[in-house]
Amino acid sequence: MLEKFFDAISQLANESGFAGLFADGGWKSIVMILISFIFMYLAIAKKFEPLLLLPIAFGMLLTNLPFADLYHPEFFNLEPGHDLDFSQILHDGGLLDILYLGVKLQIFPPLIFLGIGCMTDFGPLIANPKSFLLGAAAQAGIFLTFIGAALLGFSALEAGSIAIIGGADGPTAIYVSTELLGSGGFDISVGTIALAAYTYMALVPIIQPPIMKALTTKKERSVVMGQLRPVSRTEKLIFPILVTIIICLLIPAAAPLVGMLMFGNLLKESGVCERLVKTAQNELMNIVTIFLGVTVGATTRADKILNSEFAKVIALGVIAFGIGTACGVLFGKLMYVATKGKVNPLIGSAGVSAVPMAARVSQKVGQQEVPSNYLLMHAMGPNVAGVIGSSVAAGVLLSILQ
Amino acid sequence: MGIKLTMLAATGSDKMSGELIGTVVITGLIVVFVALILLVLCVSLFGKLFEYINKRKDINKNTTSKTEETTVNDKTDIAPVVEDGISDEVVAVITAAIASLNTNSKGITYSLKSIKRSNNSSRRAWANAGIIENSRPF
Repeated sequence: MLEKFFDAISQLANESGFAGLFADGGWKSIVMILISFIFMYLAIAKKFEPLLLLPIAFGMLLTNLPFADLYHPEFFNLEPGHDLDFSQILHDGGLLDILYLGVKLQIFPPLIFLGIGCMTDFGPLIANPKSFLLGAAAQAGIFLTFIGAALLGFSALEAGSIAIIGGADGPTAIYVSTELLGSGGFDISVGTIALAAYTYMALVPIIQPPIMKALTTKKERSVVMGQLRPVSRTEKLIFPILVTIIICLLIPAAAPLVGMLMFGNLLKESGVCERLVKTAQNELMNIVTIFLGVTVGATTRADKILNSEFAKVIALGVIAFGIGTACGVLFGKLMYVATKGKVNPLIGSAGVSAVPMAARVSQKVGQQEVPSNYLLMHAMGPNVAGVIGSSVAAGVLLSILQ
Repeated sequence: MGIKLTMLAATGSDKMSGELIGTVVITGLIVVFVALILLVLCVSLFGKLFEYINKRKDINKNTTSKTEETTVNDKTDIAPVVEDGISDEVVAVITAAIASLNTNSKGITYSLKSIKRSNNSSRRAWANAGIIENSRPF
């Protein structure tokens, strides 16, 4: 009896996670767990995009606990010509394997966009359609970062996944990288991209102002823009339908993201689907955010983080943000010249789609020059245009690289 | 009709050629700009159309409502009667709420005539608002 007791204890000890930590390569799990603590600290204490960074950090913790078997990357790394083995996932998979299907099957990011559409007011953009051009200019950060990633030796699919970080849009980055990195065998993962994207989105107030001040003169920053025209309800109803038709016909690969964004916006502007809007803005967004965050975090295994490629992704991420901001501001300067001083170039930096943080940064930098200058609503136009622009850029990358 | 882009021979692990890099960057930038310029044109067009329609409506409204203007103005010039004990801040908040209602009310304007405390409910105002919200029909 005593012998059997000791056998049972010995078996439990050998199967415990502690044994895994001291096994060969177990030190990597310890390092990853410590890294997850850092991201949890950033999310909780520094409030870096906590709604997503905290689930991602906790997913990172869960996936790197030895023998927990919550997530199996081998179930999702598809070789060309092979499909997902759903019976294996359902039979042998852990909790995070089953939830990750929402990411793998591209369900969660479009649902997040549905909620974002329900919370977005496109009024400033409709009142000043030229803001679309600022949103387009800021997406140059994506394509120029593609060049940088290529020069650092990444493959086309990896470079496309890294480049989309420059769109400053978390769900778009997850959507594109899931598609491009789906076959596995890469040194980076969806979680790597998501971590970089959300960390830099939180750093927008730190990254953008020096670039904005370096590229503009005091006179340009001091431009006070006129009031936006009022936008009627009919225009706000037609806008999402128009955008959906034009973009989805032009770039079908962008349809899931742009379509759901505009669907959410139409629900909100219709005024007759209040219950649906409330659910999409609150319960649906919260549920999907939890599932998306924790499962994307689960992809951040040691082999995807503890390598030089992760450091390159982090470096390219900040370059992508910087280039996007710079291109937006430079295009803003072009509009300043073309309109003979009516457009403040600072609103160009809001073309990155970090809504509404980038618009607030434009407002803050503008107010440093002229305290009574309220650029926020003017900057919201390029900001929400950037969301559409980054979805279009995502569609283009998927169309070319897949 | 959708844009059909040529599939380039780039597998997951191949290093990229300069041609592929150039194609992705140039195509991407051009397509994004073309798509958004198209949206600028369409949104500007229907924006101008609605401005024209609204101007026509305003002109028609002005020609038929001139005789009513003085009576309406007389009504809105009367200060609201406020019960004792209600602070100026509360009056300002209620007036602001009515002003925001006026901007969405399609030509119908509301003016504040009086403010007095309601004594006919044992429930607090927020509790009443919650009950109305949750028992609203589908």
